Amino acid sequence: MRDGSASGKAGGNGEIRIGVYVCHCGTNISQTVDVRAVTEYARTLPNVVIAREYKYMCSDPGQELIKKDIAEHDLTNVVVSSCSPLMHEETFRGAVEDAGLNRYLFQMSNIREQCSWVHHDREKATAKAKRLMAAAVRRVRMQRPLVQEEVPVRKETLVVGGGIAGIEAALRIADSGKKVYLVEKKPSIGGHMAKFDKTFPTLDCAACILTPKMVQAGKHPNIRLMTWSEVEEVKGYVGNFQVSVRRKARYVDESKCTGCGQCLERCPVTYQPVKTNGKVPVSIPAEMKEHVDRILADHRGERGPVVAILQDLNIEFGYLPKQALRYVAERLDIPVSRVYHVATFYKAFSLTPRGEHVIKVCMGTACHVRGAPRVLEALENRLEIRSGQTTKDRKFTLETVNCLGACAMGPVVVIDDEYMTLRPGDVDRVISRISGRTVRV
Amino acid sequence: MVRFANLEDVEKYRKGLEAERPEKVLVVSRGTCGRSKGADKLVAALEEELRRAGTNGEVRMRVTGCLGYCDKEPIVIVRPEGFFYPEPKPEDAQEIVRKSLLQGKPIPRLFMKDPVTGKVIEREREVPFYKRQTPRVFGSNFEVDPTRIDDYIRNGGYRALVKVLREMKPEEVIDMVIRSGLRGRGGAGFPCGVKWASCRKAKGEKKYVICNADEGDPGAYANRGLLEGDPHLVLEGMIIGAYAIGATEGYVYVRTEYPLAVELMSKAVRDARSAGLLGENILGTGLDFDVHIDRGGGAFVCGESTALMASIEGRVGEPRAKHIHTVEKGLWQQPTTLNNVETWANIPLIVNNGVEWFTGVGTGDVSKDPWGGSKGTKIFSLVGKVNNTGLVEVPMGITLREVIFDIGGGIKNGKKFKAVQTGGPSGGVLSEKHLDEPIDYDRLVEVGSMMGSGGMIVMDEDTCMVDFARFFLSFLEDESCGKCIPCREGVHQMRLILHDICEGKAKEEDLELLRDLAEVVKEASLCQLGATAPNPVLTTMEYFHEEYLEHIRQRKCRAGVCKALVRYEILGERCTGCGICAKHCPSGAITGEPKKPHRIRQDQCTKCGICYDVCKFEAVTRN
Repeated sequence: MRDGSASGKAGGNGEIRIGVYVCHCGTNISQTVDVRAVTEYARTLPNVVIAREYKYMCSDPGQELIKKDIAEHDLTNVVVSSCSPLMHEETFRGAVEDAGLNRYLFQMSNIREQCSWVHHDREKATAKAKRLMAAAVRRVRMQRPLVQEEVPVRKETLVVGGGIAGIEAALRIADSGKKVYLVEKKPSIGGHMAKFDKTFPTLDCAACILTPKMVQAGKHPNIRLMTWSEVEEVKGYVGNFQVSVRRKARYVDESKCTGCGQCLERCPVTYQPVKTNGKVPVSIPAEMKEHVDRILADHRGERGPVVAILQDLNIEFGYLPKQALRYVAERLDIPVSRVYHVATFYKAFSLTPRGEHVIKVCMGTACHVRGAPRVLEALENRLEIRSGQTTKDRKFTLETVNCLGACAMGPVVVIDDEYMTLRPGDVDRVISRISGRTVRV
Repeated sequence: MVRFANLEDVEKYRKGLEAERPEKVLVVSRGTCGRSKGADKLVAALEEELRRAGTNGEVRMRVTGCLGYCDKEPIVIVRPEGFFYPEPKPEDAQEIVRKSLLQGKPIPRLFMKDPVTGKVIEREREVPFYKRQTPRVFGSNFEVDPTRIDDYIRNGGYRALVKVLREMKPEEVIDMVIRSGLRGRGGAGFPCGVKWASCRKAKGEKKYVICNADEGDPGAYANRGLLEGDPHLVLEGMIIGAYAIGATEGYVYVRTEYPLAVELMSKAVRDARSAGLLGENILGTGLDFDVHIDRGGGAFVCGESTALMASIEGRVGEPRAKHIHTVEKGLWQQPTTLNNVETWANIPLIVNNGVEWFTGVGTGDVSKDPWGGSKGTKIFSLVGKVNNTGLVEVPMGITLREVIFDIGGGIKNGKKFKAVQTGGPSGGVLSEKHLDEPIDYDRLVEVGSMMGSGGMIVMDEDTCMVDFARFFLSFLEDESCGKCIPCREGVHQMRLILHDICEGKAKEEDLELLRDLAEVVKEASLCQLGATAPNPVLTTMEYFHEEYLEHIRQRKCRAGVCKALVRYEILGERCTGCGICAKHCPSGAITGEPKKPHRIRQDQCTKCGICYDVCKFEAVTRN
């Protein structure tokens, strides 16, 4: 499609004259949206010369209404506020075209699926419908007449990546008679599946699925296999792309190579990619480092010490500081992700600093039966935080724990390692007492 | 501190300890429950009083761990008379020491009244809570200060180890355990000896034993009670097991939520090590074995054996599929035997007293098949809405009714029994019609529940069964490790359906969907956490179906728990206008003038139920 003025008029003196049509869709729209109000509002918008409401805009009389107005009022653009464009955009474009306007000088706003059907509040829904319609009016002003034309398309496909998915896609397309370029950056197609023994969930033999397809892809007359190659640039547009593929140097005459692999064995040079081990040492405050170093020393020589180290860190700092976790990973020479995996898995660890007083509410069964959820709620209301959070003044952290094993005393709460039976009615008193205690300190 | 060079040393040392047995003993319990109710202050006051009274060798105070009767903790027992004083205050210390301990006179005002009959109980052997129990594993808690290895040895401790090392081959030990029919006390009930035998047979560079004290089941704390009360008993069991299996290293995996248990078990290990009962060349017999303590990280799934081992290895506690059993490839890929605390604690008792003694109580016949029955005793944590909460040790095969009504003293505040939940989140909820079911491994599974680690949560009419099922699912959703999809997603979706039911938004078809989902989760989950997750839902749906229907059809929660379905109101004719409800209401929803009936503004009420609790005139209604 390109810009053109082959059909449709652009308004006599360049003035934009918009017609707006708001549809009731029976009661589909009108029961939730005040259609009249939307129509009246449309009249107030710039460039709108006429606005109408109608029971069914998509009906023949509805369409006739538009056609008539275009002729009588010299409309240049048309907006219909009704259903989804998927339903009737084509209908209205046709109507507009019949009346002599370019079909693309039309805009539709969806006040049914995106408004009346999904809302209950009439007032708010009407307001939303107005905004949707106004947006369409604004947009239609900027629309230009377009013409449709056909261009030749090269029916060739590029598949990037020769894993099992790429191979399968290439084969299917090639079987349907179209040319396929299959580009793979490794020397061979096959991808991850070549490394698997079995596939989930049927536990079928992975190689038995993969290898026949690899061979087929290599032999298929419609597939051009480009291994050891990478896509460098994609230009063009849907239907006509231009792609540059870099085929990496291989120093082998492929027309003669049988793939025996002897050159690989004979070559005296082994190529090893240089590890850009550009790791920057983790920055950690000196004081923190001292503590962490001590904890690390305590666990030196232990097998699998991560959990134990994090436990000690958690006790030391009250939580797990980020720098400390990174530092531990560095010193143990394991990925940071592994340390985080552990740190986020276990409940006992916290990644955020805790407050001065830690309140743990037991959510065990026995406590639940005796009303623990209500105790938690009372605490949440009193402290104005949710479970797992810390008050703004960093005084209290509220946590839940799945059974403290003091079931006979339920509902149990532990405040700063002191076990107590707490009922909702006592919450205020206990918290006030502790707050007061802190102030004096 | 003493260090034993050989087997004879232990026996000699014990004789010495027995000789100095003091005449008068003051037993004070100080487990976690006791501490939370002021046991520390009480002990300090009693110590001070003893010092002031200037007593010498004939009097001793023994600070024990949990004595099981958690409701009444801390407990003081005066021996030899056996006076039983529950929950005394520090102010009572003087009288207890001067009058009761030294002069042997009772203090009637400190005696307890039976919560059921109202009868005054004077002596420990008369306490109904204890009378119906069969204390075997838990019995020594009265006799032992968990911080003192001497107490344990005096009470016959490490005798079993000496006997095993002196007289028995490893195979004989295993054979004995098989014949005893001892089954895993952690819940699944796998025969312990069979496990040991496969582990002994398995090939590996090194073998491990693990004590599973990751007692994550909410509502169960028997393991904690044992570790806090008699840690050496567990340790002795582990050493015997290590000898039988051929293991050289052991771990006690105890959850970090049990700080006192960690502390006491660590001390026990240190003491045993310096006494020559752990380490290299134990008691000069050439046996090498040592134990490490590993605190969990607060993840329920770590109670699963493979997840637990992953956690010890410093990884996240995700279970693996058990095509290969842990007895062949467990910790660090080596043969590993993992048993529950209570299982290990049974071992020394079986060695000392023999197979016949052990099989003297229980159900079925295990002489030919270790799966043939459930033998010995089991410790349950009897909690929830019963009069006597605490740890109870009873013979296998006892009925639920005996435990709940005879030992537990029935339901609190004269309410009606509704249900009992056994086996934690993996178990099920049983109703009134199961009260006369005998408790053993196989019978509980047949009715849809399981033994689990011995949690027994009693519910009365104020518990909503739908909400209760939802509670377990939220728990499991939270604790699911997320590795396999049926558990991670299935439990979540089931919870959403239950949530809808509790909110009054569900349709009857949802029940069918819920059941379908439950079956899938049960079949397809990787480990037992997921595979047993639907149990609480399925059992409540079966035994309390009408309650589900009530929520859906009539939008009614008969227990008044589901907030969306309840409404609090004040009865004008009962309200005295005292204003206590208005004072406590956190949302300021209660208004009214003094001395005149108050009113709850429904638009502001958050349904927290505090008014209902604080009203002394039963003027607040919930319906």
